[in-house]
Formats: sequence, structure tokens, C-alpha cells
Amino acid sequence: MKDKLKNMLGNFFISVALINAAMLVLGLLLRPEQKFGYEVFMYPLIYGVIGTIPALITRDGKELSVKQTLVKNAVQMLMTVVLILAFMFGGHPVDRNLVVTAVSVAISVVIIYAGVVIIGWFLDKKAADQMNEDLTRFKNKQQDIYKPR
Amino acid sequence: MEINIKNIDPSQKEYIEIGCWRVNERVNEIVRFIKLRDGHVEAYKDEKQYRIALSDILYVEAVDDRCFIYLDNDCYESRRRLYEFEDMLPAENYLRISKQVLVNLMKIEQIRPALNGRFLCRLSNGEDVIVSRKYVPDMKEKLRGDRR
Repeated sequence: MKDKLKNMLGNFFISVALINAAMLVLGLLLRPEQKFGYEVFMYPLIYGVIGTIPALITRDGKELSVKQTLVKNAVQMLMTVVLILAFMFGGHPVDRNLVVTAVSVAISVVIIYAGVVIIGWFLDKKAADQMNEDLTRFKNKQQDIYKPR
Repeated sequence: MEINIKNIDPSQKEYIEIGCWRVNERVNEIVRFIKLRDGHVEAYKDEKQYRIALSDILYVEAVDDRCFIYLDNDCYESRRRLYEFEDMLPAENYLRISKQVLVNLMKIEQIRPALNGRFLCRLSNGEDVIVSRKYVPDMKEKLRGDRR
């Protein structure tokens, strides 16, 4: 549980950073004239929290294979898209503008989700490279111990 | 260090004797090595019983209430539990990497990232086993030599 929370916290901060970037790009593209107050700084945090909800409610009962994990991540991503769209546009009348914005937001969420996974993978790759170096050293040491002198 | 090998009568029990001034870490390492080479475990395949050398084991996996021992090209079932293997196998070379798997570190060829903070270990027979997130810090410590 502790490791899961640590991982979720890491993903939350990566998400917040990427959401900021997505809001900047989407805002410049769709509504460049829009002006905001300080409350706008709250939104990346709220969206970051919403993004971690699917990971909280899916259980890690047994060890999943890589394929099963990919499917789980895809399901979590879809849940995140639905939650964020419901939070942003729930109760609003559907018109062309809303559909365009919603599609842009959905695409952004997918890009952010993929970004979080890719950044996480690169951090793990760095850790794996270090572990491989340590493994080589460990095996050499174990073989040296049992080498006849 | 002088090494003496003496042929004995087949009726006698085989033994290894170490003559040393004092039992230090080097002597303990030799003892661990001998135990590892000499250690066997009973396992079953097609209702026949086999003796498996501990040093040949790639990994041990618990599936439901059963335990399976994987070698390079073979798989055997054991009546022991995973925690019993954990106690029996030499802690220098074997490590728990998930709730279900105990792996022989000397048989790992490469470690790669899997998703969600987990890692994949490619073993000498080409098989992959998953290191779950919870056990990653233990593995890092062990490979760095911080943990015995």
C-alpha cells in the first residue's frame, strides 16, 4: 500500500506538470482571449487528484502480467477521461463548441496519461540500468568467492 | 590453504572437514558454498520423485496452494511451501521478488523496466519473471550488497 501511494504521488506531480502544459497549449489554441484569476492555479491540482482516483479504486490483488497491466492502464485512462469530462462539462448544454473543447480535453488527457507512463518508464529504465550494473558486480563477487585459489 | 581429497570406502558416509585457526567470514562462505552445492530438494513430476540440486533452481513459484520449481528446461512440483523454500535456500543467492516468486539471482541475465514501477528479470533460459513494486527496494539493496 505504501509503495502504491508513493507511486501515485509521483504520478500526481508528473500529471500536474503535464496538465499545466496542456492547459497552456489548449488555452492558446481555443480561447487565447480568456483571462483568469488566481483560482486557475487550483485546476491542475484538482485534475491531478481526479487522475489518481481510478488508480485508487482498482485493486492490485494479484501480480499482473505486462499485457494485463497495459489493459488495466487503458481502463484507468478511460475512467480518467470520463471523470474529467464529467467534472468539466457535467450539466452544460451540448453544443458544437463544447464538443470541440471536450474532444481536445480528452485528447490532452490521453497525451498526459501516456506522458506520465513514458516518464515513469524512463525513470525505471535508469533504475534498471543501475540494477544491471549492480547485478554484474554481484555475480562477479559471488563467483570470486567460490573461485579456487 | 592446503586442499586434501581422500578416497574413502563406499560403505562410509561422505564428509567434508575444514581445518582452520578460527571460523571467519571466509570459512562461513566456504560452508555456504558447500551447502548450496550439496543441497537437494525433493520434487515431483508425473508422479515420480526427483532430487533437484538447489544450485540448478532458476526460480520457485507458488500458485494457489502448490509450489513449482523451475529449472532451465524443466518444471517440478514440490510439497513444500514458498516460505519453507525461503528459509531453506541460501539467502546469498535467492531473493523473494513477489508474493509468489523466489528467484536465483545468479540466473538473472538482465533486468528491464515493466510498467507501474515493476521490473522484468530475464533468466538464463529466456523466461521473464516480474519483480513487484513492493520487492524492488529489497532487490536494489541486495544487488548493491547492502543486504545479506
